[in-house]
Amino acid sequence: MIIFLQATAEGLALGAVYSLVAIGFVLIYKAMDVLSFAQPALAVVGAGLISSLAVDRGIPFWLALVIGIFLTGVLSLVIERTFLRPMVGEPVFSVAILTIGIDILLRTFLDNWIGLNPRYLGDPFPSFGNFGSISIGGVVLKYLEISAFITAVVVIVLLSVFFKKSKYGVAMRATSFDQEAALAQGIDVGKIFALVWFIAGLLASFAGFFITGGFNTLTQLSFISALRALPAVVIGGLDSIPGAVVGSLIIGLTQGYVAYFQTNLEGLVGFSLGSGFSLVAPYLIMFVILLIKPDGLFGTEEVERV
Amino acid sequence: MRGRPSLYTDYRKESAIFSNLTQKFWFLALITFAFSLVFVASDYWILLLTTAFLISVAAWGLNIVSGFAGQISLAHGVFVGVGTYTASVLGGVASSYVIGYELDMIIWLPMSGVVAGLIGLLIAPISVRLKGLNLGLVTLALVFIASHLFSNMKFITGGAGFGRKAAKLVLFGFDFENGLQIGGTLLEKNQLVYLLALAICIFAGIGVKNLTRSKTGRAYSAIRDGDIAAEAIGINLFKFKSSAFALSSFYAGITGSLMFSVSGGVEPGVFNLLYSVTFIAIVIIGGGGTVLGPLFGALFFSLLPGAIQALLHTFGLVGQELSLSLGQIERLIFGLFIILFLIFEPRGLWGVWFRLRNYFKAWPFSY
Repeated sequence: MIIFLQATAEGLALGAVYSLVAIGFVLIYKAMDVLSFAQPALAVVGAGLISSLAVDRGIPFWLALVIGIFLTGVLSLVIERTFLRPMVGEPVFSVAILTIGIDILLRTFLDNWIGLNPRYLGDPFPSFGNFGSISIGGVVLKYLEISAFITAVVVIVLLSVFFKKSKYGVAMRATSFDQEAALAQGIDVGKIFALVWFIAGLLASFAGFFITGGFNTLTQLSFISALRALPAVVIGGLDSIPGAVVGSLIIGLTQGYVAYFQTNLEGLVGFSLGSGFSLVAPYLIMFVILLIKPDGLFGTEEVERV
Repeated sequence: MRGRPSLYTDYRKESAIFSNLTQKFWFLALITFAFSLVFVASDYWILLLTTAFLISVAAWGLNIVSGFAGQISLAHGVFVGVGTYTASVLGGVASSYVIGYELDMIIWLPMSGVVAGLIGLLIAPISVRLKGLNLGLVTLALVFIASHLFSNMKFITGGAGFGRKAAKLVLFGFDFENGLQIGGTLLEKNQLVYLLALAICIFAGIGVKNLTRSKTGRAYSAIRDGDIAAEAIGINLFKFKSSAFALSSFYAGITGSLMFSVSGGVEPGVFNLLYSVTFIAIVIIGGGGTVLGPLFGALFFSLLPGAIQALLHTFGLVGQELSLSLGQIERLIFGLFIILFLIFEPRGLWGVWFRLRNYFKAWPFSY
């Protein structure tokens, strides 16, 4: 039972981290009909910025965290302005491939900077030893995981308030509903695109911090973890924010359970699933769900005209 | 029709492989040039060109399914992997941890294409169920599932981090390792592989050209331009999407079978997402939906390292500490070209070539 709770806790924390990247995906997709493969790269770039500020430059951790996250948002905004703006109205897939190009650029620079040794992101509480952990009834919870969960909840609440109450939030919803109609109503759609990318960049770097923070460290492989937010969005439906959150939790929990119960699972199916199966399971779920419900669990069904 | 090259008096002439004598002449001239290169070019360039020809075959395969039939596949690298491992099992040497049957190349070369094609056929029904971006995402999932399988099927692949030896190059009992004596020159293994790759590349290219002239090719284009409309005029979507996937995977499998025999070994980690994305990028940079595009793209991609080396030599930068490694510079240029071509010339290098040709056709007039 304790193992089960432990797996659940870790799964939920992972899901919370994925949901941060996933919401970025959905925001961009809703506003511009663009699936940005650059999102996971932005997450690790954010982590890289925080690390370089906090560890290499010796800036106090909290300040570095804020600056790093802000800079990633700005970087994301610059990417939208320079590369994505000329592609407005192009086929969805061309733009998706373009973001893969951006992803290659970002990660080449980042991998070169990271090098072979893992990078640390700094530690605000050295006395805890890399953020430390707490044990509740035998279930070990890392503070980093708890804070990831809280951050995700806060961000989701803030975003939903932002969408309901603020002028820009409403404008954003209008844009995602119909770009031309929004333009006709006097909404500066270009500004909305920029804002969407900025927010998505912020969210990505938050996630990047939680993925690579503490003992996890930033390596050239951290990107693979961030990419796992993609199956989360796809499962939930590309254009649904609640879907993204649910999808992320499904992916996180699957990963947690499979990691802890793989041997039991193997006994059940009768053959070996191979090492590292917990990392492939999300993609397996995405594969199955796409076949059953092509638009995801919460996505709007696409109606096609001839 | 000498003075009017664009005037076609019947349909057969318009859809001929070579629409005029000039094209036929250049085709033969280039092939002769490519074959004679084997005696002239240095080992380094021979190796790069061999890779270019092999990659162009796989790129043509992706072009069939994505460029002609319009079905997005992010999993092309997986089929290359299937081809590689089919060839390695059939033509490779068994060791304590991997299986291998040491068969002749005449068996494993076609077989690797066929097995990859069959797996492609297995995947194809998905493309009938899903469209566009969703299809791309499913194939993305496929990449991860396949690389997991590749890393864990140790008796075939040798396992992650270890890998295995690729297929032995023995054709009709003749071992490529021994080299071939022609006249006074000895052709070594790499040069023989170059010739083989060139021959396969020519056949594959003519195959693609013929495909575009056939009923199947036209059905593919119709599906790409609007699959519901295509279905309405009586094109069987299931049949043609399946055949497109099978054919594309066949091409990928052929590439895979030879690709790693040059370097000798293969590690399953090679077939990751980036590997599959590379093929998409090659098709985009070259020009999707055209016959020559993928060849241009493959040449560009494979010769890029050589070009960078040559540039570094001219500027005297070799041996100096650069902040980026050669591979990283390559990836940067590659990523940048994907972006630039998509923004400025979606028809790719083929589009550049098309405009250049038309410019000089009408020279000195601008139109």
